[in-house]
Amino acid sequence: MNTIRALGADLVAVSPELPDNTLTMAEKHAIPIDILSDTTSEVLKKYRLWFKVPSEVKALYLDKFGIDLEKHNGAGRWELPVPATYVIDRNGIVLAGQADPDYSIRMEPADIVAAIRRSI
Amino acid sequence: MSLKEKIERFKASRNRPADIESILSKAVEGLRSAGTAAGLSMGERAPDFSLPNQRGETVRLSERLARGPVVLSFYRGVW
Repeated sequence: MNTIRALGADLVAVSPELPDNTLTMAEKHAIPIDILSDTTSEVLKKYRLWFKVPSEVKALYLDKFGIDLEKHNGAGRWELPVPATYVIDRNGIVLAGQADPDYSIRMEPADIVAAIRRSI
Repeated sequence: MSLKEKIERFKASRNRPADIESILSKAVEGLRSAGTAAGLSMGERAPDFSLPNQRGETVRLSERLARGPVVLSFYRGVW
């Protein structure tokens, strides 16, 4: 994260979650990146990352993992983004990125840094 | 160690039951074959947006880009 900042790039994270009301203002100010709430999934859809959680997976989350997405996302919102990372240059063009439905496949930090270096 | 190696080590140590693994991998394959959530292409213009941050301030992508490149990450949640 510090390398990304040192190169003059900004870090922004987006999730479908409602804003976290459990944090104090001081804690919110201490978080070094912007964490954005897409409570209507509009942005997830614009970026073609939105999907509805299939019923078998919903049952698994509820029964085995104890995760109720409605508590995090709001009523009726069993929906998520495919996890994704994009490096966007100053002109708004996607220079590099990755989106994979398998949430264990993520963009390598070294590739993120290399793409920022190319953009400047 | 790369992030990929760290994740692989974590997965190997986790020992998740086969029935759970099977439901999750079917869902992943379903999404992959539907192709409806494939994300943006390289070279494409990233759609502009404005959303509230953790302090309730509005963040607009185009305003951030005016200052420099942006690493934009989509994640499922803190759970």
